Amino acid sequence: MRIVYADNNATTRVAPEVFEAMIPYFTDEYFNPSSMYEPARRTADAVADARKTVARSLGAADPKEILFTSCATESNNAAIFGATRANPNRRHVITTAVEHPAVLGVCKDLERGGWEVTFLPVDGQGNLDVGGFVRALRPDTLLVTIMHANNETGVIFPVEELARIAKETDPAIVFHTDATQTVGKLPIDLGRAFRHVDLLSFSGHKLHAPKGIGALYVRRGTPWRPLLIGGHQEEGRRAGTENVAYIVALAEAVELAAAHRDEDEARIAGLRDRLEATLERQVPCVQVNGKGAPRLANTLNLSCHYVEGEGMLYQLSAEGICASSGSACTSGSLEPSHVLLALQVPFTAVHGSIRFSLSRYNTDDDVDRILEVFPRIVANLRKLSPYWDNKTNAPRPGADRLLTESRADALKAR
Amino acid sequence: MVWQYSEKTKQLFMAAVHGEPGTHLGEIEDPDGLGEHGSIACGDAMRFTFRVERHPTDPTRDVITDVRYLTFGCTSAIAASEALCSLIEGRRLTPIEALKITNGDIVAFLGGLPEQKIHCSVMGAEALESAVFNWAQRRGVDLKSLGIDVHADEQSEGRIVCKCFSLSEPYLKRKIQELNLRTIPEITNAVKAGGACMSCHHVPGGLQDLLDEVWGEDKNSLRVLPAAASMSPAAPSARAEQPGLSPYQFSKKVEKAIDEYVRPMLTRDGGDLEIVDIKDHLVYCRLQGACTGCAGAGQTLKMMVEKTLKEMIDERVRVIAV
Repeated sequence: MRIVYADNNATTRVAPEVFEAMIPYFTDEYFNPSSMYEPARRTADAVADARKTVARSLGAADPKEILFTSCATESNNAAIFGATRANPNRRHVITTAVEHPAVLGVCKDLERGGWEVTFLPVDGQGNLDVGGFVRALRPDTLLVTIMHANNETGVIFPVEELARIAKETDPAIVFHTDATQTVGKLPIDLGRAFRHVDLLSFSGHKLHAPKGIGALYVRRGTPWRPLLIGGHQEEGRRAGTENVAYIVALAEAVELAAAHRDEDEARIAGLRDRLEATLERQVPCVQVNGKGAPRLANTLNLSCHYVEGEGMLYQLSAEGICASSGSACTSGSLEPSHVLLALQVPFTAVHGSIRFSLSRYNTDDDVDRILEVFPRIVANLRKLSPYWDNKTNAPRPGADRLLTESRADALKAR
Repeated sequence: MVWQYSEKTKQLFMAAVHGEPGTHLGEIEDPDGLGEHGSIACGDAMRFTFRVERHPTDPTRDVITDVRYLTFGCTSAIAASEALCSLIEGRRLTPIEALKITNGDIVAFLGGLPEQKIHCSVMGAEALESAVFNWAQRRGVDLKSLGIDVHADEQSEGRIVCKCFSLSEPYLKRKIQELNLRTIPEITNAVKAGGACMSCHHVPGGLQDLLDEVWGEDKNSLRVLPAAASMSPAAPSARAEQPGLSPYQFSKKVEKAIDEYVRPMLTRDGGDLEIVDIKDHLVYCRLQGACTGCAGAGQTLKMMVEKTLKEMIDERVRVIAV
């Protein structure tokens, strides 16, 4: 069966060019870049070149500002813990309620350690209230960590603006952004629009490099302490023998993405928009989460009222279509997605979310295939649903009140 | 996480969604028994209906002839609903005999369920039970006199322990006993209690206390204490204050200056300005209306407003465009 891969915010296919670039470092060029003999110079040069490439593509002033890590989670941990350890006198951190767990979990850990954390809410479209951000800034604020774009909804936050406001308020505030979903997709220039951002994390496997490589940008002069110590690599700021093949892969992927970005984005936006518009037309009672906010061109997060997401995913999977859901049944806990809860998606729809995320390797055929399968799958589940009237193909009158206990109020009150 | 469902579960789910013959999707009109369990907000809900062949004289000898369900929920919730119907159908059970079907029977019929999905089978058993109670009411059968615990009102009268899923103390205690639940994760897997905000785990009167009460303090239940309470957060340092002006007086002066001098200039061009916040001598403003589209808006705002406020109030005032 042909696989339609529409889960690119989870991970992406490795680009053939990227794979090609890695191969020599698995065979002949196996030397440790720290070694003194001549052949090791080639691997050291490869790492240095990769660093320059990544720095240039992000507009960093100095390649030394780029640290290679193992993944975005490591980068986020290093950024946040590193900033807090370097600023022991300040105890307040600002983040949002919709961050990836790699930031949210770290912030909650800080809270347990005695830091005060403000989790900024978002509105029904997923937008951050800039006024709320301003009011959260305090004299003892040490760090702001706000993602560039949300992995579930694709909603983009104005981090350039937020960083500027933070710095104009108090230059000592450190500003971190998790740009895992945007590097390679949106233009990021740390020398211009993003010049107030101090720390920026991302990983390779969201932009067609393999899993196992990430990077952290640390602006020169930022008070920050390393997380991994015990070696001189990365100027002593991230110890551990360099993962040469993967570092080369990341640079190749970043370059590839930059070269094709405008063209890719326009084409991917076309696919996503067609998918979105057609599903909105063909499937009754759906809502697009984050529709009213600036969004990544590749992401469609759709909630189908009165059906449950896991049953949709399972049927999609049986048809060879890979997507994901924010339903409680797929989350590993009994709680639906914290992002959709923060958006106050109605409880009739919060369990019925499905995310399609596209990449440059998706085609019109892929969209056609999803359009062929998805409406039928939703209809199948609605036939089984106690909330759906099959005669009228609409929710039963009062379905939003049926069988609802105080859980509804509990969700609303959050 | 890849699906870890048994072949039987997958097959029942696919048969159900495709409405294959022998499946039990639907609702019996004017049924003899109707039971519901769960809620859409919780992520799964089931409506179960059955029809009986009425005994001419003794309602306790009615036999179930037809069963139907409607279920909102995941793959295993739908498969468990099918399993429940299959366990009843064709066996000419009386409703009272049907009560003996437990969630364990549903799990066995499915060839097992992942631990965290056990609650799907419990939902089936609960919906069946409530349908049988409903039948008894309609047919005037006094279940209590037959020695059946109808645990009426335990949900409406008991203290709510798990607020997220709205589950009461009597209900949870009964389930802990009936399903032999020994740990908090077991409770969560079976009836969802404690699975969302988790704040009811170790509070007084919470899930651990219920376990201790039912099983005795030292029986198999490891008491895991939550991490030590957080240290008190450092007090924010006091804000530098304007000499001679309280923060309130300062912000009033800013508002007055903006109203009198700045706003009139902006409204002339169809724009306006909103004060978002004032911290010390920092004034955060947002341009509105016609001004927002103007390329030089940020600069204009900063220069003009800042100049005015510096002259009117304090040399240290800084304006930040939001």
